[in-house]
Amino acid sequence: MKMLQEIGLFTMRKLRETRRNPIFLAMGIVVPILYLAFFSPLLKGMHVGDANVLNTFVPGMLVLIAFFNGLFAGFGIIDELRSGIIERFRVTPASRFAILMGPVLRDTIATVIQVTFFILIALPFGFSPDIRGILLLYPLLILLVTITSSFGNAIGLVVKSEDKLAPIVQGINMPILLLSGMLLPLSLGPAWLRTVAHFNPVYYIVEAARRLVQGEIANMAVAEAYAVTLLLAVIVVTWATRVVQKTTS
Amino acid sequence: MKQVVSVRGLKKRFSIRGGFHEAVCGIDLHVEEGEIFGFLGPNGAGKTTTLRMFTTLLPIDAGEAFIAGYNVQTESAAVRTQIGFVSQSGGSDRSATGRENLILQARLTGLGRLEAKSRSAELIETLALEDCIDRFVSTYSGGQKRRLDIALGLLHRPKVLFLDEPSAGLDPQNRSNLWQLIKELKRFGVAVFLTSHYLDEVDYLSDRLAIMDLGKIIAAGTPKELKKEIAGDVITMGIHPETVARTLALLKLRPFVREIAEAAKEVQLFVDNGEEALPQLLRLLDTEQITLKTITLTTPTLNDVFLKKTGKSLREGEFIS
Repeated sequence: MKMLQEIGLFTMRKLRETRRNPIFLAMGIVVPILYLAFFSPLLKGMHVGDANVLNTFVPGMLVLIAFFNGLFAGFGIIDELRSGIIERFRVTPASRFAILMGPVLRDTIATVIQVTFFILIALPFGFSPDIRGILLLYPLLILLVTITSSFGNAIGLVVKSEDKLAPIVQGINMPILLLSGMLLPLSLGPAWLRTVAHFNPVYYIVEAARRLVQGEIANMAVAEAYAVTLLLAVIVVTWATRVVQKTTS
Repeated sequence: MKQVVSVRGLKKRFSIRGGFHEAVCGIDLHVEEGEIFGFLGPNGAGKTTTLRMFTTLLPIDAGEAFIAGYNVQTESAAVRTQIGFVSQSGGSDRSATGRENLILQARLTGLGRLEAKSRSAELIETLALEDCIDRFVSTYSGGQKRRLDIALGLLHRPKVLFLDEPSAGLDPQNRSNLWQLIKELKRFGVAVFLTSHYLDEVDYLSDRLAIMDLGKIIAAGTPKELKKEIAGDVITMGIHPETVARTLALLKLRPFVREIAEAAKEVQLFVDNGEEALPQLLRLLDTEQITLKTITLTTPTLNDVFLKKTGKSLREGEFIS
């Protein structure tokens, strides 16, 4: 009970920050909107996936939004580490898990807002998702941003400097992005590419997102994605909580 | 007196390339209820590491530390309810207002919504933060920010407030204001444990202090006691060369003079208590009609204490930092 209250307090703090600086919320969907405007027309000419190109393309963008929202969280927490905020929190009786969850929940809430916004933007372009599928996609995206944000915050606390964080985040970002099929379905590529992709958790989420949008709910890909993200979320959040517990500046 | 901090054999080492760095090598100390305890030492002495162990931020390698009766290692959650901590960087959130900072911190320490509000209001008044409290912390002056940082450490009425280099980066005006404030904290019955590498700060503020160097405590006591351990006070008199011999002969036998040294135009007296010796000395010289050109009384500083114990000056270290 006490922990829930603490999570609430930490989350409200970060949300207040976002409310005062909503530009970051908008920035998060600038990239996917650019892709929607300038990249998806290319797909129409290529006859990729479905008859409705956007039903293949938009799910990838939704995953991208969730993925990016958390991955760069480290930059924010390094600043808070430097100004002593994290240590101040760590000297209070507040739960370490709650300290982590503040920024993580902010990122999930931001993701839900951005994803919803992006779906609404994509609809007039011809995006026609299955409603039940979309509803089942939200928890998956929330789990994804929970993973990336927990990881992003923890890795920031571990490396403690923006200079070291930037190459790490970039180094993780690119292969995961390329091997997830976010932009183009990996089914277009050779078999070895798909084999490698199976080691990328985000690949499962992208696959599941496409199925869900099509309304294929009772699908193996969906179950797999849920299993992979749940497992990974438990591992990453546990690790990140330990990092919060131990880190000193 | 009840002890709010009591530490025995505290050790910490960090692994570095090619072995270990012994940051804290077995220190003992205690802090009594409501006192201001100064922790003096050059940069790199291990002060902050020690402080981090006390405040549950860093695990203890060996030894025991009790704060307000709780074991820091095994009851860290309870310890956190009893201490306030103001780190060197402060710890206030610049993107929020002072009041938002206070309310959140109050809630985190377990106060209810109303309590958090009233307790914040109390501290805003005590620490004279009324003018800036609803502005963003990013707009605060150095002194205002420091006062807010301290307020954040006091919300839950801790038994001990740990201040890590509280006056670092403050201008002289703000520094002296801060000193007054720290002195006033005694009213609340909170013990203050402050680390500093400023001699004058520790000398002025502390009821008792410990001097740390290279991970060890090299001296501990009240500022007076420590300074007394050194040779005592020095009185330097500038006199006419012709009267030097007579003066020496006259003063040699006096009970208040511990030692005497002469130079061409100067006579130096080492005395136990300079303030008491001075009037006696002046009266004596007057009766004997010895004319003084100058007279100065020098009392030892904590730097002399440090110099005696370590063979190096703390002041030099201050400039290096």
